[in-house]
Amino acid sequence: MSIMELNGGSVIAMVGKDCVAIASDLRLGNQALGISSNYQRIFPVTDRVYVGLPGLATDVTTLRERFRYRVNMYTIKEEREIEPETFAHLVSSTLYEHRFGPYFIEPVMAGLSKTPSGGYKPFIAATDLIGCLNFAKDFVVAGTASAKLFGVAEGLWEPDLEAEDLFETISQTLLNAVDRDAYSGWGAIVHVITKDKIITRTLKARMD
Amino acid sequence: METSFALTGKGYVIVAADTTAARSIVKMKVDQDKIKDLSPHLLMAYSGEPGDTVQFAEFVERNIRLYQIRNLYPLRPAAAASWIRRSLAESLRSRKPYSVNLLLGGYDTSLHTPNLYWVDYLGTVVEVPFAAHGYGSYFALSLLDRYHDPEASLEEGLATLKRCIDEVSKRLVIDPGKYKVKVVDKDGIREVEI
Amino acid sequence: MNSILQRYSGSSAGGRLSKSVVEDDSDFSDAMWGSEAGFGTLAKGVPGFVVPSVPDPAAFLRLHTDDHADPSCRIKIQHGTTTLAFRFQGGVIVAVDSRATAGSYVASGTVKKVIEINPYLLGTMAGGAADCQYWETYLGMHCRLHELRNRERISVSAASKYLSNLVYSYKGMGLSMGTMICGWDKTGPAVFYVDSDGTRLKGDLFSVGSGSTFAYGVLDQGYRWDLTDEEAQELGRRSIYAAGHRDAFSGNSCNLYHVKEDGWKFIGNYDITKLHYEGPGNVAGSPGHGYGYDLRVEGRSSANPPEVAAQA
Repeated sequence: MSIMELNGGSVIAMVGKDCVAIASDLRLGNQALGISSNYQRIFPVTDRVYVGLPGLATDVTTLRERFRYRVNMYTIKEEREIEPETFAHLVSSTLYEHRFGPYFIEPVMAGLSKTPSGGYKPFIAATDLIGCLNFAKDFVVAGTASAKLFGVAEGLWEPDLEAEDLFETISQTLLNAVDRDAYSGWGAIVHVITKDKIITRTLKARMD
Repeated sequence: METSFALTGKGYVIVAADTTAARSIVKMKVDQDKIKDLSPHLLMAYSGEPGDTVQFAEFVERNIRLYQIRNLYPLRPAAAASWIRRSLAESLRSRKPYSVNLLLGGYDTSLHTPNLYWVDYLGTVVEVPFAAHGYGSYFALSLLDRYHDPEASLEEGLATLKRCIDEVSKRLVIDPGKYKVKVVDKDGIREVEI
Repeated sequence: MNSILQRYSGSSAGGRLSKSVVEDDSDFSDAMWGSEAGFGTLAKGVPGFVVPSVPDPAAFLRLHTDDHADPSCRIKIQHGTTTLAFRFQGGVIVAVDSRATAGSYVASGTVKKVIEINPYLLGTMAGGAADCQYWETYLGMHCRLHELRNRERISVSAASKYLSNLVYSYKGMGLSMGTMICGWDKTGPAVFYVDSDGTRLKGDLFSVGSGSTFAYGVLDQGYRWDLTDEEAQELGRRSIYAAGHRDAFSGNSCNLYHVKEDGWKFIGNYDITKLHYEGPGNVAGSPGHGYGYDLRVEGRSSANPPEVAAQA
């Protein structure tokens, strides 16, 4: 019995053309037993940053509360919203503070960061459970289906996808990967972040 | 073989827990109440490590009461669930964690909704229309997927609960025995016979 | 005919192990390579298997294959499953899922877990896939020999006893199977549970596998002896769906069989997800909607706003 596989669940984030997407399944289990098919593990941080927290469910709640507190403190002190890069480092240091008794979560972040010229640049990142940052240019994955997600994403992802195409790519990647994982599935949700709106859709997924 | 069930219906939550207190292979007691009334509209069924269960339940009970004394109004179910979860999550990373699983059933008098929370000893919380803890959950959850109705009357809800209890005593190697059943709705908490 | 009979008829079901590692072609009869249907090792009527040349082959095998005590080891055998069979007024219903898992990996979603032993006998598969397939096929051979010898079909009781004695002779060697032998004989519909511990039980209703508890939950509540054929088929389907939904190691699809006086009939293959969203479709006994909880209770709420507030 692995702690990382106790509750199940997976998250993936992908970069598109002037947009990013983050998606997750909705299963919360207790080993083989499914408990809930509506368990949200992706949370908005700001209007342009989302974080997904696959791993041990109790730490999903604890970390969400911690991140919310720290981001709020940041916003009050700095009098501006946190940028995705900054948030990634906030996540990393929060996790490393617990180096010798870690939270069993491997966060995945997706957002749009402001450029000096006033535009927006896609940003995704992931860390391991003690905060080692991984900035990727294409996609990042985590959770019980991560090996399967890597395989499918490697085959489907291509550069400069428009928002709708990115939605299709990330959805197909997630759905097909979690169908090969016993601990993920039971519904799925996708968020596509573009510069002027966020598209959130729940997918009709396999329910077994 | 501790077992507890809870299910929501139209304007109420039913919480049921077996009444057996076992030690090793011996039944020490057959009329143990494992459901605490935390506030006028909040019930908590607890199970798990003997000793931890009652200690933790009383700790929660006192603190929820303290909140009500200080503020003159009780915590709503969602807020109570959040506080209890945090207690468990902090305990989890302490030297001696509480090993207690909970079912929290409450009636939110402001929103007029029944709320049910499935809580495990790790501090995992999820709001569900029906829930179970213990080996009974492996039999009852599929049954409730089939028979549960969110708009069921109290009689229908109790009939569904009866199905769960009967199924578990039919199939589980060790019959959990008798159950104590409590209901919380807009009028408060009461015990019912099944 | 007699020579064939003689060749196959070993009086004992018990297995003997040939302890050879260096496989010499000359050790095998010519029959090995042809028409023996892969059962060449059994051609002399006494099964013989190659075993590792170590002092304790059973312990060696246990060290390298997974079991309940050590799920982390390298050789994975298919474990998760839901199978069920029940007897009722109209015969026997046999329903199974189709998922095979190796650890958390869903290795296949199209496994045939009902083994068609002969036109009157079905066996279900839980535990080691290869063990079930091999020995139930082997059982089929012996059921046929019984017919040739005695000019009548073997009873379900006798067939299941044959299998039970056979797997019992390998006890402790790592065989893993939990199976239901179902059929129709002179006594009517019959279901026997046989497992690799050597347990053999006659009964009306069984479910086996990691998802069996979930199947029992639905099955027990809906079961009556006087179920109609349509109701019985629907109950089998609904129970497998319940297990496929809740159990991580069961799912993908449901295979449904119905055994009647004139032998078994394959009723259909139903995708579990399709059952969830749409139900079994236009078939007898269909409820006309998806089995899924969220779909069944869609638009229904347990909120209880007071009358006055609702009007305002």
